[in-house]
Amino acid sequence: MSIAKKMAPSFPLVVALFLLLAYPLSLLFARSLQDANEFSLTNYIQLFTDNSHRRALFHSLILSALVASISTLICLAPAWLFANEHFAGKSLVRAIFTLPMSFSGIIVGFLAVIMVGRIGAVPQFFEKLTGTAYTSGWAYRLSGLVLAYLYFEIPRATLTLESALRKFDPQLSVAARSLGANTWQRLRLLILPLIWRPLVSTFAVTFTVSLGSFGVALILSKRFSVLPLEIFQQITGYGNNGLMAAMAIVLVLLAFVINYSARATS
Amino acid sequence: MKTARLGIVALHCITWFLLAVVAAPILVVLAGAFLDPTLLGVTTERWAAQSSFFIPGWFGYVFQLYNRSLEFSLVLALLSVVVCLVVSIPGAYAIVRTDSRASRILEEITLLPLSIPGIAMSIGLIQAYAIVRGKWWLILCGHVLYTIPLMMRVITNALRSLDLDRLQNAAQSLGANAWQRFLFVIVPNLRHSIIVGSLLVFAISWGEFNVSYLLNTPLNQTYPAALYATYTSNSFAVSSAATTIFLAVIIPVLLALQWIGGREFSRPEQAA
Repeated sequence: MSIAKKMAPSFPLVVALFLLLAYPLSLLFARSLQDANEFSLTNYIQLFTDNSHRRALFHSLILSALVASISTLICLAPAWLFANEHFAGKSLVRAIFTLPMSFSGIIVGFLAVIMVGRIGAVPQFFEKLTGTAYTSGWAYRLSGLVLAYLYFEIPRATLTLESALRKFDPQLSVAARSLGANTWQRLRLLILPLIWRPLVSTFAVTFTVSLGSFGVALILSKRFSVLPLEIFQQITGYGNNGLMAAMAIVLVLLAFVINYSARATS
Repeated sequence: MKTARLGIVALHCITWFLLAVVAAPILVVLAGAFLDPTLLGVTTERWAAQSSFFIPGWFGYVFQLYNRSLEFSLVLALLSVVVCLVVSIPGAYAIVRTDSRASRILEEITLLPLSIPGIAMSIGLIQAYAIVRGKWWLILCGHVLYTIPLMMRVITNALRSLDLDRLQNAAQSLGANAWQRFLFVIVPNLRHSIIVGSLLVFAISWGEFNVSYLLNTPLNQTYPAALYATYTSNSFAVSSAATTIFLAVIIPVLLALQWIGGREFSRPEQAA
């Protein structure tokens, strides 16, 4: 049977991908390079020279990098336990960990407000306990934004790391010890090389998700703008299609650079 | 082995702390929806005047306000599942069976939406199909774009674990034609992955906000978009009740995924 005939069942898939992915993205790319129907770099120049846009881009990068690093490192703990250990209630714990996966950004934003808003549950708890409402109003600051982003990255980082760590054989560590390797040597020569790949790919996954999220910022961000929020304001406001497209393309390119360099290094 | 034990204890500590971080806001929302908000000391609104320990009243209010959105989101999520299945099963089948360069490229492209920031895909759809903005099927298209990679991955993994050639040959020798082989031999063998993929797609579609919010109109408002309206204009108690309804749909689905899905449900990335 010819390859064409064998590939025939994928026809609906190809059509869907063309209409929903290829066409919209190429249209965005074309529009981002146009001004008044002529080729120009105006949109990109505006994006990189306008102070508020540039700051939003910078904020997006910093926030995503910060959140991706923290979640990748901290979620090593649950991922390792889920992959290699057995303990009572493991599947229930794992199920709870996956809950925030399908919470859209706005819900996470709302949760941040009720937990660490001006009169959130955590500051009230602290006020009852110590008399001072620690963490009050965090939701509207950078710290709250980081916490909220971490909230929806925890399940993603944990599950991505877990599937990679499952391939790690704990016996290797025992073998290395019996060959005389001390803790530091085992960490540096055995464990780190083995988990480096999952760490990098998890960083890429969480970075991409944070970069494209706008629900949380929509609810929480007062002064701290991120690029998705700027795009959103372009839609609801005066709406410069070219600039909007340029912003979206910049996000796509950034995500690609991160994802492909993650692949290349591992 | 002493240091190793200590390490495991530390891992447990971090894990249980993270568990508390994940669970606590959900518990506060449930408390806010079911209990008198003055108990939490977070409201001074007129709702607070009706003081009793258990007030389910908000739910009636939310249902009355958003029953259309709820219905729309449920239908949308179910349709997303159906469209994803119809597109992905034959697509994955072709990719796995052919194993040529073309099929590998197609597989790469299929998984591409996972590494594109959600907002960028929404903007692409909005600009490409501005004329039909607000139509319900455009929102459906957006959801399908987000969910196809997840379904594809589950189905291709399952197909690769089957011995396709032997199944095909056995069925063929019994006289089954290509359609019969696909429908009565391959698809039944995929039933487990079909269930897992469907639950996953349903969960993502039900919670999707990016595309839904940017493409919706007041007539076709998804439930997460309605939630946003609630958060910006209603009290804590009403918002909590509305969020509880959202959770009541999603939590059983995710728990079912956890129990049925096991390992297949282990690499899910999706825009928030």
